[in-house]
Amino acid sequence: MATTAPPYPGERRPNVPSVAKRFPAVHDYEQVDREIAGTLRPTLGWFAALGIAILCMLIGASTWTYQIHEGLGAAGYQPPVMWGVYIVTFVFWVGIGHAGTLISAILYLFRAGFRTSIYRVSEAMTVFAVMTAGLFPILHLGRPWKFFYLIPYPNWRLIWPNPKSPLVWDVFAILTYLTISSTFLYVGLIPDIAILRDREKNKVRKAILSQLALGWRNSDREWRHFTRAYLFLAAFATPLVLSVHSVVSFDFAMALAPGWHATIFPPYFVAGAIFSGIGMVFTISIPLRKAMKLEHYITLNDLDAAAKLCLFTSMVVGLAYLTEFQVAWMSGNRFEIDYFWNRVFGQWAWAAWIMLICNCVLPLSLFSQQLRRNPTWLFILSLFINLGMWFERFVIVVPSLSHEFEPWQWGTYRPTWVDYGILLGSFGWFFMWFLLFIRQLPVMAMSEIKEIVPPKMRHPRTDIELERDLTEGTVYPDDTGATH
Amino acid sequence: MQGVLGAFHELDAAVHAIEDLKKKKFGDIVVYTPTPRHEFEHAMKHPPSKVRVITLIFGLLGVTFGYWIPVWISDYWPLVVGGKAIATWVPFTILGFEVMVLVGGLATVFGMFALAHIPRLTMTVGYDPRFSAGHFGVWVEAAPDQADQVMQLLKQHGAEEVRRER
Repeated sequence: MATTAPPYPGERRPNVPSVAKRFPAVHDYEQVDREIAGTLRPTLGWFAALGIAILCMLIGASTWTYQIHEGLGAAGYQPPVMWGVYIVTFVFWVGIGHAGTLISAILYLFRAGFRTSIYRVSEAMTVFAVMTAGLFPILHLGRPWKFFYLIPYPNWRLIWPNPKSPLVWDVFAILTYLTISSTFLYVGLIPDIAILRDREKNKVRKAILSQLALGWRNSDREWRHFTRAYLFLAAFATPLVLSVHSVVSFDFAMALAPGWHATIFPPYFVAGAIFSGIGMVFTISIPLRKAMKLEHYITLNDLDAAAKLCLFTSMVVGLAYLTEFQVAWMSGNRFEIDYFWNRVFGQWAWAAWIMLICNCVLPLSLFSQQLRRNPTWLFILSLFINLGMWFERFVIVVPSLSHEFEPWQWGTYRPTWVDYGILLGSFGWFFMWFLLFIRQLPVMAMSEIKEIVPPKMRHPRTDIELERDLTEGTVYPDDTGATH
Repeated sequence: MQGVLGAFHELDAAVHAIEDLKKKKFGDIVVYTPTPRHEFEHAMKHPPSKVRVITLIFGLLGVTFGYWIPVWISDYWPLVVGGKAIATWVPFTILGFEVMVLVGGLATVFGMFALAHIPRLTMTVGYDPRFSAGHFGVWVEAAPDQADQVMQLLKQHGAEEVRRER
């Protein structure tokens, strides 16, 4: 598949992401508005996808209703494995939620050019993934209606949660992450909602968009405070990304089970989260790019750059796997060694090898530039990465519990149709929100793309002047054509 | 407020107009631009945004509150483990950090709203829907006796449309 965007003139390696991001096939601001606002028209394919997502969500909801009626025993829990698919899927969705903020906040601070094309999709993905993840600890409770006991609030029972428990840290971390990532998404959307408001002809929609745009007028005063606030939000969100999955990893690392009680868990979880999130960004953005005809916005250069990040995080995750084995081997701790042996060559070998092949072997294909620039391959690979990362969490959660210190503690785990129904429902829930989002609000940041598209000038700079300035770094791309 | 609004299609024309208006010391100027541009920042010479002060103050208040919650709970409902402190700062740093981000982040957004004067219930004088698309707008506060002069200046600099606003 070819992109309409040719490589930049004068660059030997066109795929190097840098601040000098450009959209050669986008000529003016009106084209940006027309093309991106045009993606909001619903299509038959969209209705079909939404129908499937709602069906899956309803399957999950009915399965949960059944579980509430029958009790948690309907899921596949049996001693000693009392954490199963729900905790695995919780960690999976929290991980998916990480790439969004990585792309929108961290790459913003690092001025990575390829971020512009994919960050809105990633941010929306983050919010919906965290919303999905937040359901699982509740699903995992025997009495889910009492989940609010974990929130420290003055109550007549005079009972407070234990602030030294990782479960309470989780509540703080996930709620903060959900709030900040939703705020970040909404704040970034305000100027784009104002664009939609100004283009809208339908009175009802215009009224709704006017409320959502908060009376935004694109004045210099608004932009001055907006850009600064966005920068600070990005600065807050960056350590938050690292902290949230570290906190999730403490759920395991604070316990004494073999395989869990390791100091490597926080960085290992963060790298895995970023890797899985980028996988999901590919799963979502590649079909969107095709269906919405956005090839000249999400260019092959952008996919190439994101694929390099994917390859890098895959290798970090691979290194973490090896380190776990090495530490277990060098520790001389019989329980640790036995546990890891059981993980790879014993009872759970099938799951561990799915994980290793999907997360460490297949991504090595991204060393090939040809494959990095092949959207079909990236999409297929992303499905394997999603599968592999779900199994990574399975391999972390289940084998440790099923193979603790004494042989009498050993057991097995077999998920039931209830587990699978709720797992399917979580995908339905996630995609339902995502599909609704992409038809109501723009999937790309129109005002940010306009920063990159050269504005109309009375005395435009020549290509040579522009190229010289960008290469020498004397101006940012949004300074092109400056009059002073 | 009375003034004159000019709509420009070219960025450099709008910037030159602002520089000239500043030089001739007319009234307050508001620029409308579909996307933030450094050229306007330089021409307008605004001081840095005060959002940073709000972020700092509320971030510090947040981290204090974030530590206070677990310390207070531990004191109210102590879990006594032999030899261990009741209030331990290491695990409480997690709550301190999360609450700092939550309070600091939300305060940054609300601070931005306050400083940028949004939400705005009505569109104020001088806005045109073209300014969210491809045009740049320059609104200049001008008394009726100055309006003609300002209109002429904006036209000289290439404004596509110039009109009085009140």
